[in-house]
Amino acid sequence: MTDDRVEQVTCLGCGCGCDDIAVTVREGRIVDTSPPCPLGRAWFGDGSVPWQVLRGGQPVAVEEALTEAAEMLVRSRGRVLVYVGVDLSSQAQRSAIALADLLHATVDTATSETAAAGLLAGQRRGRATATLGEIRNRADVLLFWGVDPVLRYPRFHSRYAPEPTGVGIPEGRAGRFVIAVNIGADRAPPGADATITLEASEEIGALSLMRAALRDSRPAELPPPFKQAADLLPRLTGARYAVLVHDAEPTAEPRNPLRVEGLIALAQALNGPTRAALCSLRAGGNRPGAESVLTWQTGYPMAVDYSRGYPRYEPGLRGLNRLETGGFSAALVVGSPDFSAGTTSALARIDTIAIGPRATQASFNPRLAIDTGVAGIHDGGTGYRMDEVPLSLRPPLRGQRSTVEALGGLVKGIRLLGQPA
Amino acid sequence: MKGLQQLRIVGGAVHDPTNGIDGEVRDVCIENGRVVAALPDGAPTLDAGGMIVMAGGVDIHSHLASSSCNHARRLLPEEHAAEPAPAPLLEDGAPARSGTGGTVPSTFTTGYRYAGLGYTTVFDAAVAPIMARHSHAELEDTPCVDGGFFALMGNDEFLLRLIASGERGRSRDYAAWLLGATGAYAIKIVNPGGIEAWKSGQRNLNGLDETLTTHGVTPRAILETLADAANQLGLPHPVHIHCNNLGMPGNVAVTLASMRALAGRRAHFTHAQFHAYGGPGWSSGAVPLMEYVNSHAELSIDVGQVMFGPAATITADGPVEYLLHKSSGRRWVNIDIELETGCGIVPILYKDKAAVSALQWAIGLELFLLSADPWRVVLSTDHPNGGSFLSYPALIQLLMDRTVRGERLKQINPKLLAGSALADGLTREYTLNEIAIITRAGPARLLGLQQKGHLGPGADADVTVYSRDPDIARMFATPRYVIKAGTLVVEEGQLRRAPAGRRLHVRPGYDDALLPGLQKHFQAYSTVAFDNYPVRGIRDEPIPL
Repeated sequence: MTDDRVEQVTCLGCGCGCDDIAVTVREGRIVDTSPPCPLGRAWFGDGSVPWQVLRGGQPVAVEEALTEAAEMLVRSRGRVLVYVGVDLSSQAQRSAIALADLLHATVDTATSETAAAGLLAGQRRGRATATLGEIRNRADVLLFWGVDPVLRYPRFHSRYAPEPTGVGIPEGRAGRFVIAVNIGADRAPPGADATITLEASEEIGALSLMRAALRDSRPAELPPPFKQAADLLPRLTGARYAVLVHDAEPTAEPRNPLRVEGLIALAQALNGPTRAALCSLRAGGNRPGAESVLTWQTGYPMAVDYSRGYPRYEPGLRGLNRLETGGFSAALVVGSPDFSAGTTSALARIDTIAIGPRATQASFNPRLAIDTGVAGIHDGGTGYRMDEVPLSLRPPLRGQRSTVEALGGLVKGIRLLGQPA
Repeated sequence: MKGLQQLRIVGGAVHDPTNGIDGEVRDVCIENGRVVAALPDGAPTLDAGGMIVMAGGVDIHSHLASSSCNHARRLLPEEHAAEPAPAPLLEDGAPARSGTGGTVPSTFTTGYRYAGLGYTTVFDAAVAPIMARHSHAELEDTPCVDGGFFALMGNDEFLLRLIASGERGRSRDYAAWLLGATGAYAIKIVNPGGIEAWKSGQRNLNGLDETLTTHGVTPRAILETLADAANQLGLPHPVHIHCNNLGMPGNVAVTLASMRALAGRRAHFTHAQFHAYGGPGWSSGAVPLMEYVNSHAELSIDVGQVMFGPAATITADGPVEYLLHKSSGRRWVNIDIELETGCGIVPILYKDKAAVSALQWAIGLELFLLSADPWRVVLSTDHPNGGSFLSYPALIQLLMDRTVRGERLKQINPKLLAGSALADGLTREYTLNEIAIITRAGPARLLGLQQKGHLGPGADADVTVYSRDPDIARMFATPRYVIKAGTLVVEEGQLRRAPAGRRLHVRPGYDDALLPGLQKHFQAYSTVAFDNYPVRGIRDEPIPL
């Protein structure tokens, strides 16, 4: 029995997008991944996924399922929800959006509420950011705002910052000053060079005062936590390249939606006295890829409604919100996300089709389900890192049906039915 | 009249300056996607009687398919909302895509709109190599046009190190490798050394001999190295240069210095209008610039005309966007891109009553009107930086009709126009043949696209047919027919078919001795594995060198 070793595989287990994974395959199963990373291990698993096609829980030929799915969707044209889940290549996302356009559907994606707040703030203000390699090679002051990447982005510290050496940081960790800002239950990394702790209710005020300090207009007298925050300013302005790091994905603690706007504004303003960037940590599964594809095809990064025959932006009333109030008569879920109870029961009331990785195991019991490969494990193509750098996917296993292929079959089926008016 | 293997375009006045044809009424014959000398009697015909026939337009410098464009799209939802673009109704119900407009339209809409203008070949002028995969994906979703992009190299860490150690040959090898790895068409320099200066805290480089302190390299050395690389590699297009100091009063001095630095070498200087300002205050530097351009046959420019109205500035030139943000107070995106380049975006509005905008408008027109050789002075708005590509017809009208131009001149803020050649009265009017040169024949020649920009036998069957119209802008905005690689894309002014375009890219050879050092560099500093970096599976074969 020989093992196959596939080198330089890209992992989509979190948004770090490590593309240096060695995957060992034995008899069609993944038996090892290296370097070890808990999220990476969990994401790859042994690579086994179901390869079924089910109608009402019973096996059916894929052609038949696609034909039936096409009929269901065409019947509901204009009242279709297309939900783009995770673990899809950008090529699959591109096909899903094409289907949505064809069906005059509403598109929702795995863009979380908290990431959405950042996208909206970025549309109001712009942003100052950098790709992860720039942070690795340049950041001499790092401020972790209510996040320790180690839990949800395990290799962030070792691949990007603060640990590795870089072009401008030959000393690695010793060449960087790390500031930890704990906010309520959102803890920043231990072992920082400076640490302050804020109550959740204090953070927006603290961000404002840091900007005020930047303009030399901070009040003379400040209560301790605010004074500590404002006192961080010289560290940041004294940096050659300061990087603020925050988590754009949801945490157990409810997040003040103004946090991200405050951080964007601070990072932008720091570019007067020095250079600075805001790093927004994003979860894996090619979430930023969906936003990128949607943007180039529609102009908008999320929450697109095609029901009038062209893309409209509805960030305040996303597809999943409208689903529960009876806004759709059919849904195409690309993937197998775990939805809330409300969403699951709303999907049960309409024609629901799932196509994607583990579709036949979806907890929302789709009427039709077609399993496909996982991007980066069975499907090739492109996946986007959290900083929107597009990465080549190098699947270590051979799948039975790619997501692009299945969605392509659906497009074909819809076209065979003719273009409805 | 669709997927025809053969087509004879009959009775049009043909403007094909490459082949010395200036308005002669003659047939253009097409077979299997190419122009041919003749067709048998009875071949299908397209009546172009009374119309004007040109090759498809070629855009040498646009921003339409890049991660930077996508960041700009994302920044401007209000523009998209104001301009929905339902899917066009194609023949036989063929699938078409909806989208949105604005200064940076969605990809499908961009392709349809270029075709609707009679343009069939477009290059994105600035792609960060690490983002090349993204540009290929956007181009896949930009139908109707053949397209490619230029790879940004003027601030690349590995290259700066090679230049610092005097390794010109190795620099050429690296440029060759990078072009092949990214599937790019040409070498692009943006603000040589200045972006690295911005990222490393030096803020910018303002002169050709100012040293980038992190590397001990000057803009002059970067320009010389990459100009030589492009020429020695025999690339179809020479190095494409965005000079230092874009948009700054007095910058014509550094532009001229850059041109002199490359005297005798082939080089293309882009969006020259943004680099043609006299100093120390705001004034036109068009006259000295064009005196130099006119007398140096080895170099070419595109103009980068400013057109009044909304625009989006998108550039790798991070420091200039920071200054624009500070002076305008508008939204600002800055993205520093590892080891390679930067990205800055600021939306902008060019107002005819604003003195600087008016000066920029005037300078662009001066560059066109003072040009002695239209083959080397290409029409561009640096879309969407100076204005949308949709404003090309209005620009053509300004060039062809001095009455319209004079009327417009009367409406603009004259404050900074003292000493402007335009204000002093430039009476030149471009002819249709000259328009054919600056919009297709010239750029095709400068890009080394031997099958583009003309209608001689062997040319790609990219043809645009215009109905004559006394309103020149309307005539160029609504071609009657557009044929792309033999497919009738626009018929009776309507988009009827939307074929995929070809990818235009090169893959020059290099000395493998480059690779060990390069791999080491990747290992030490890159966040992408060396083997994962190259874009693979590009649909079309590279252009033979």
